[in-house]
Parts: sequence; structure tokens; C-alpha cells
Amino acid sequence: MTTRTAQWIFAVGTLSSAIVLGVLTVDTNRQMATLTNADKLTDEVVAGKVVFQKYNCNDCHTILGFGGYYAPDLTRVYRTKGEAYIRKAVTEPEKVFATSFRHMPNQRVKPDEVDKLVAFFGWVNNINNHDWPPQDSKQKGLTGTSRLLASSGISMSEGAALFKENNCFSCHSLGGTGGSSALALDNVGSKLSAEQIAKQIADPRSVNQAAIMPAFMNFLSAPQINSIADFLSKQKGGK
Amino acid sequence: MPVTYKSQRIAYPYFVVALCLFALQIVAGIWLAISYAFTLPQGLVEALPFSTMRAFHTNLLVLWMLLGFMGGTYFMVPEESKSEIFSTKLAWFQLILLTATGVAALVGFLFGWTKGRPLLEIPFPLNMLIVLGALVFLFNIGMTLLKARNWTMIQGTLLSGLVLLALLYLFGVPFYKNLSIDWYYWWWVIHLWVEGAWELITSAIMAWVLMRITGVERKTVEKWLYVEIGLFMFTGLAGTGHHYYWIGAPDYWLAVGGIFSALEPFPILLMVWDTFQHTKHSKSGVTNKVVWTLVIACSIMHLIGAGVFGFIHTLPQVNYYTHGSQVTVSHGHLAFYGAYALLNLTIFYYAFPRLHGVERFRTNLGHLGFWITLISMSVMGLAFGVAGVIQSYVERVFGLGFMTAQAQMQLWFKVVIVAGLCFAVGLGIIIYDLLSMGRRARAESGAVLTQSKGAAAV
Ligand code: HEC
Ligand code: HEC
Ligand code: HEM
Ligand code: HEM
Ligand SMILES: [Fe+2]
Repeated sequence: MTTRTAQWIFAVGTLSSAIVLGVLTVDTNRQMATLTNADKLTDEVVAGKVVFQKYNCNDCHTILGFGGYYAPDLTRVYRTKGEAYIRKAVTEPEKVFATSFRHMPNQRVKPDEVDKLVAFFGWVNNINNHDWPPQDSKQKGLTGTSRLLASSGISMSEGAALFKENNCFSCHSLGGTGGSSALALDNVGSKLSAEQIAKQIADPRSVNQAAIMPAFMNFLSAPQINSIADFLSKQKGGK
Repeated sequence: MPVTYKSQRIAYPYFVVALCLFALQIVAGIWLAISYAFTLPQGLVEALPFSTMRAFHTNLLVLWMLLGFMGGTYFMVPEESKSEIFSTKLAWFQLILLTATGVAALVGFLFGWTKGRPLLEIPFPLNMLIVLGALVFLFNIGMTLLKARNWTMIQGTLLSGLVLLALLYLFGVPFYKNLSIDWYYWWWVIHLWVEGAWELITSAIMAWVLMRITGVERKTVEKWLYVEIGLFMFTGLAGTGHHYYWIGAPDYWLAVGGIFSALEPFPILLMVWDTFQHTKHSKSGVTNKVVWTLVIACSIMHLIGAGVFGFIHTLPQVNYYTHGSQVTVSHGHLAFYGAYALLNLTIFYYAFPRLHGVERFRTNLGHLGFWITLISMSVMGLAFGVAGVIQSYVERVFGLGFMTAQAQMQLWFKVVIVAGLCFAVGLGIIIYDLLSMGRRARAESGAVLTQSKGAAAV
């Protein structure tokens, strides 16, 4: 190869790739307006982004998968955990995560800032991003369950499978598996009846005005809620 | 052989500051690993939050590496252009400005003064000071080259890398209202730096050092340099798309990002091949054995950390499950260490003996320090990698939630702490060796070159 050829490789390589990046950047900026619902980008949402940056939440938490990997991804937190829970986690993390093995600092976020954060997470939740992250994806949740069943060889009741698919594990634990930001459910069957449990799942605020658990009546059908309740009402052993 | 041009000595303070910041970076890194592996009491989590220490760890990383590159440039340009640096006063001013800005940023983080964007936490007013520092630097180097009128391809590559680096930094400065657009341009800084501008700088410096230590013809080196940087740009520019899969960008990025970035290992492979080719044809025996080891290690680890560990998770089918997990951390560490930490160490070991004015120095400490860091970083990268695979399965494939997965990964974070402590020891040896090699060599043989007394006063 001569130096001249080498120079051509350099020029053509650089230029062609720069053009691809440049052209696609223009188009991406255009298309992202719809993909991210830029029309719903209200002042409140933008103010929420400012708060998110002010407290450097992003160096512990990922959002859209970027940032620190120390704490849960927040892309879909609005849907999977609900507004009340977000408020509580941000304002009283020392209580919510008291029994967890990893703590979140209380950064004394002001009440109006919490409102803005919630608006921000609400907007982020609707970004159309090829259904990432998988753990919060409804569709992938189902495949996850069948994979889990296949790998462990355990047969799982419908209620148990639904419990797993609907993120109940990310707040509650069963048999030592799961989150610690809400109470363990190993013994719930000896405390509550299946009907009471079903009511709790469908609309926690109908049981307790100040409940922070998200309501599932809009995500799950009545029979589905009943089968989870049936499964939980059998949990009487636990610690 | 001591320095040929007096102004090359300005590199020395740059290197010393860089080494100090490197040491601090490691301290912060170990704190991060401890926060992962152990349950810290609420009070400690609030006093020294992970987020703040992560900003420390990563900003120190970028700062010391940039100071290393700048010092390296000040060392290299006089010999390439056959002239003194335009102004050593400006170079001092720039060093003090950048160091002071960096320190101010770190102190600011402790008090919550941050822009709150990962890796780009430095607030706006300080951004401006950094831009000023970069402009002074480019002006100083530009004037040196203009006055010398001795243009070489290697210098051109180095300078374009540095200019590109400075330009790209600007995309990280504004506030973006739309989170997705924010991340789109965030990667123009991060990705186009490490897989674009910094690769130009690396190729140029490696080519130069190789030419110097092996005596290979300039023409051959330059020819391959064109091909390398051409391929780096071709794959790296459009390859940015491998970060656009899940941010709410159009579908075509899955294909464009996947294909171009999957080709990214090729230029790195070429660089390895090239290095081995040159070292085989070495005319003179290489006297500085540590540089020799580092050059080879840098090319191989660059290939493993960036090429192999990058390739593993660059296709969207895989990235869907590994994105933003410890797999990313594993790759980040191996790539940064393999490509850029070792490159900086290569520069240091090439320049320090000459800055100290010693002909020969004992290589045992240098080798020892290098091997300790290499092994501990490899262990650390693998530990992060195992943790990442566990995370991808438990959290993403099985969908059991973040904290359930983290609970299964604790052992591997403990391995990271141990590896990190070993790394610190290795780095301590390297720093001691670099700073004191002049004094020790003189004490041993008295083989001091009279010209270089000034630089020996360490
Ligand atoms: C020092 C690191 C750190 C910082 C800074 C931080 N968090 Fe957290 N956060 C955590 C950890 C760790 C958890 C998970 C604790 C657990 O489940 O045991 C958490 C949990 C949460 C949760 C619950 C998520 C879930 O899926 O259960 C929300 C919501 C949250 N944080 C929001 C925020 C917001 C908003 C900010 C910024 C104002 C913030 N965090 C700052 C570490 C941090
Ligand atoms: C965001 C966290 C969160 C998620 C997700 C969540 N819960 Fe809850 N859950 C709570 C909290 C907190 C409570 C305590 C009452 C309250 O404050 O809402 C609770 C209470 C309960 C109770 C009553 C327990 C008792 O002893 O009184 C049941 C039963 C329950 N949850 C079932 C579920 C099921 C089933 C799911 C999944 C479909 C689920 N939870 C998802 C947070 C959560
Ligand atoms: C030797 C001790 C070190 C330890 C214990 C350590 C540990 C860590 C930890 C725990 C993180 C946080 C990852 C997260 O966000 O969750 C991190 C981030 C990072 N570290 Fe280190 N580190 C060390 C050294 C280094 C070195 C030598 C380099 C570079 C050469 C480096 C480069 C990085 C980078 C680039 C990040 C950001 C990672 C990312 O966003 O993927 N670290 N480190
Ligand atoms: C020396 C060169 C490189 C360095 C220093 C480097 C460093 C990094 C770092 C620090 C990150 C994490 C950034 C963050 O999210 O905080 C990252 C992400 C990534 N890198 Fe590299 N990289 C290099 C080359 C490559 C190459 C050549 C490839 C592909 C072949 C690659 C593929 C990726 C991918 C796919 C991600 C995204 C991971 C995710 O989805 O979370 N990298 N790189
Ligand atoms: Fe990249």
C-alpha cells in the first residue's frame, strides 16, 4: 500500500461516517419530538429535570440506563412503583429503605421539588424506547416468568406467576427473595383473607387513605387479582 | 539521553499533578466499591454519598488523563517540530488554571454544587474556565507549530485529536430540556471522546513513541497511521449509535449503531499488528525496557478492554439485557485502563528518565508496579463482569428486580475491593519509582548528565 492509498482510506472513511452521523442527527432530532412526546414537555416536567440534576440523583440511579449503577433504574418508576411511593422514597428514604442492605440518603428535597420530580418521571415513563428496561416491560415480564419456571423446574400457580410479573417482588419479599421497602408477605395469609388481599391489590387507598402501594386495578383484571389474592392467602408459614 | 529542548521540561509538573490526581481517583474508587459491598449506616450514606464520590472518581479520571495528554504533547511537540514551545509561561498558567478549576469542582461537589449529569458534573462557570484552559493550550501548541513551520503527519493527527476533543466538550455544556436529546449529545462528548478524539491522540503518541524507541522509518509509521485513524473515524463516528438503542431514538440506530460499532475492534487490532510489526523491525536495541513492556501491554489491553469487552455487549440483542449493568462497568474499567491509563504510563516512562536526566535506571520497580496494576485491574474487570452477568440474568432476564439481583452480587464487589487495594499498591510503587528514579540512579552510579541538573531537583 502506498501513502497515497492510505490517505484516501483516511479521507473517505472519516467523511462517509461523519455524513452518516450528521444526516441521522438531523433526522433523529426531528423524530424524537414524537418518540418522546416533546409536546408534553411542560414547564413542570422541565423543572423536574432541573431538580433531578440539582440533587445528582443520576450518579446513583440510572435513567434510560445511563448513570450510576448503584440504585434502581428510574425510567419506568412512575408506572411500576406509583406516585405515592416515589414521594415517600424521596422524602423519607431512611424509613422506606431502613431494613435494606443499601441505603439512599435523605437529601431534604423540598415538597414543591418532589411534585416536579413526579411530573418528570411521569413524562419519562412514556418515552418510546423499544421497551427498555426488560425488568419493567410487561411483555418481557411474561417471558421472564416462563424462563424462571423452566430454569428452576418448579411449577408455579397462576397467582404466583402474576405476583412475579407485576413487580410485587420489587417492594415485597417472599421466602427472603425480593425488596425490603415494603413488608414481607410470608405470613399475610394468617392476617388477611383472600377478599381483603384482593381489595388491597386493586386499590390500596380504599383500605388505607395514606397507602403508598400503587393501585393495580387498571393493570390487572378482577380474575387476575383474585388469583394473586388466592395465592397470597395461602402464605401462612413465614418468618 | 536527556531532554533535547529546554521547554520540554514543562511536561514534568503536568505529569506530577496527573499522578497525584490518579492516586486520588483510586481512593475514591475504593470508597465506591465499599459502598457496594457493605451496608453503610444512613449517616455515612448522607455524609459521603455514592453519587458525590462517583463524580470524584470519574472527574479525577478525566482530569488526570487530560493533563497527562497535555504534558505529553508539550514533551513531544518540540522534538517533532524541532523548536521550543511558544511560551512556557502560558503552559504554566494553563496548568495552574486547569488544576485550580478541577480542585474547585471537587470541593464544589462536596457542597452539592453540581450539574448533576454523570461524568459531566462540572457546573457552567467552571466549564468556561476549562474551555479557557483548552484554548490557551491549543493556542500555545498552534503557535509553536506555526513558528516552527515543520509540519509532520504525527503532529497533525495529535493536533486534530486535541482540537476535536475541545470542540466536542462544548456539546456537554448546555442544559437540555428533553432527557433523550440530553443523552444524545452527552454521548457526543463521552463516546466521540474515547472512541474518536482520544483514539487519534493515542494513535499519534503510540506511533511517535514506537518510532523513537525502535528506529522504524517515519514513512512506514505514518502510512499505517493514516489507515488506523481512517478506520477509527469510520467505525467510531457512526458507531455512536450503539448508545442510541434505548433512549427514544428512531429504529435505524439499532442497525447503524450495531453494524458500525461491531467494526470498531478492527482499527484496534490493526494497531496491535502494527505495533508488533514495528517492534520486530526494531533497528536499535531498546534501552528503556519499561516503555517497551508498556507499549506492548497497552496495545493488547486496548484490544481486550475496548475491542473485545466492548464488542461483547455492543449488539442490540445483547445490549438490551446488559445495558446500564455491571457489564458496562467491567468494560469501562478494562477499556480505560488498557487504552488510556497504560498510554499515559507509557508517556510517563518514556519522558521521566529523560526529564530526570538519567541514562539508565533500574527497571525492577517499574515492572513490578506495572504487573501489579495489570493483574489487579484484570481481576477487577472480571469481578465486575461476573457481577454484571448475574445482574443481567437475575434482574433483566428473570425480572426479579434490582435489589434481588444486587444481593446475589455482593461477593464480587468484595473481590473488587481487594483488587482495588492491590491496584493502589501497584500505583504507589509506580509513582514512587517515577518520582525518585533520578535521585536513585545518581546515588547508584553518579551517571548524571550535566545538562539536566535543573530537572533533577525533585
Ligand atoms: C447515594 C445514592 C442515591 C442518591 C443520590 C439517590 N438515591 Fe434514590 N435510591 C438509592 C438506593 C440505594 C435505592 C434503593 C434502596 C433499596 O431498595 O434498598 C434508592 C431508591 C430510590 C427509589 C425507589 C426505586 C425503586 O424502584 O424502588 C426512588 C424513586 C428514588 N430512589 C429516587 C431518587 C431521587 C429522585 C433522587 C434524587 C433526588 C435519588 N433517589 C437520589 C440511592 C440513591
Ligand atoms: C411500590 C411498592 C409496592 C409494590 C410494587 C407493591 N406493593 Fe404491596 N404494599 C406496599 C406497601 C408500602 C404496603 C403497606 C401499605 C401501604 O402503605 O400501602 C403494601 C401492602 C400490601 C399488602 C397488605 C399487607 C398487609 O399485611 O397488610 C398486600 C397483600 C400487598 N401489598 C400485595 C401486593 C401485591 C400482590 C403486589 C403486586 C401486584 C404489590 N403488593 C405491589 C408497597 C408495594
Ligand atoms: C482500583 C480501584 C478502583 C475501584 C475499586 C473502582 C471502582 C469503581 C466503581 C465501584 C465504580 C462505580 C460504577 C457505578 O456507577 O456503579 C467506578 C466507576 C468508574 N471507574 Fe473505577 N474503580 C477503580 C479504578 C479505576 C481506574 C484505574 C479507572 C480508569 C482507568 C476507572 C474508571 C472508571 C470509570 C470510567 C467509571 C465510570 C463507569 C461507567 O460509567 O461505566 N476506575 N469505579
Ligand atoms: C478505548 C476505548 C473505549 C473506552 C475508554 C470505553 C469506555 C466506555 C465507558 C466508560 C462506558 C460507560 C459509559 C456510561 O454509560 O457511563 C462505555 C459504554 C459502552 N461501550 Fe465503550 N469504551 C471504549 C471502546 C468501545 C468499543 C470499541 C466498543 C464496541 C466495540 C464499545 C462498546 C460500548 C458499549 C456498547 C457501551 C454501552 C454499554 C451500555 O449499554 O450500558 N466501547 N464504554
Ligand atoms: Fe461507545
